[in-house]
Amino acid sequence: MNNRLRVLRAERAWSQQDLAERLEVSRQSVNAIETGRYDPSLPLAFKIADLFGLAIEEIFVNPAKEQDQ
Amino acid sequence: MQRTTPAGRRYLKRFTPTMLAYVVAVLGTSVAVDQLHPTGAALATLSILPALPILAVLVVIGLYIREETDEYLRQRVVTSMLFGIGVVLAISAVLGFLQIYRAIGQVDVFWAFPIWCGSWGLAQCVLAWRDRMAGGEA
Repeated sequence: MNNRLRVLRAERAWSQQDLAERLEVSRQSVNAIETGRYDPSLPLAFKIADLFGLAIEEIFVNPAKEQDQ
Repeated sequence: MQRTTPAGRRYLKRFTPTMLAYVVAVLGTSVAVDQLHPTGAALATLSILPALPILAVLVVIGLYIREETDEYLRQRVVTSMLFGIGVVLAISAVLGFLQIYRAIGQVDVFWAFPIWCGSWGLAQCVLAWRDRMAGGEA
């Protein structure tokens, strides 16, 4: 699933490791989510959204609406 | 298995003594069978001894999967295990038919577990390599 994680992370000057520690996951997880190779569970997606103070749909692109954007 | 997660570290703490027990059981059973030439129930009991640590390893693996809180790493491990199961089943199917039609002789069932472990490890390496190649900074 496409997402804005890399951009949001870059805006805060966080490394993948920084973000991983904040989310209490591995750096590999952050990398896999950022590159769209892994779709996080709903609890993890909420955790990511909470961390950035955004709604889930402001971070993750709804695949059903992807072509519209 | 990721040693960097708490579940991964617990897995290693459990796995290492279990495999040591396996080595001891294999060596002990070999020596006992060679020296004592047991038969019947005694032989069966001795033969099962090395399998017990293997069963324990399966429990250790199950505990890791249950305890791993990093969902991506857990998914990667489970995917690799499924690949290993697929390899074992594929080999079993081919060898099974070869045996049914007497094209080959007996093949020890013992090899199923090492083949599963090997295939799992191979898949795990490939997925880890794919992750490294996927880019992203460290």
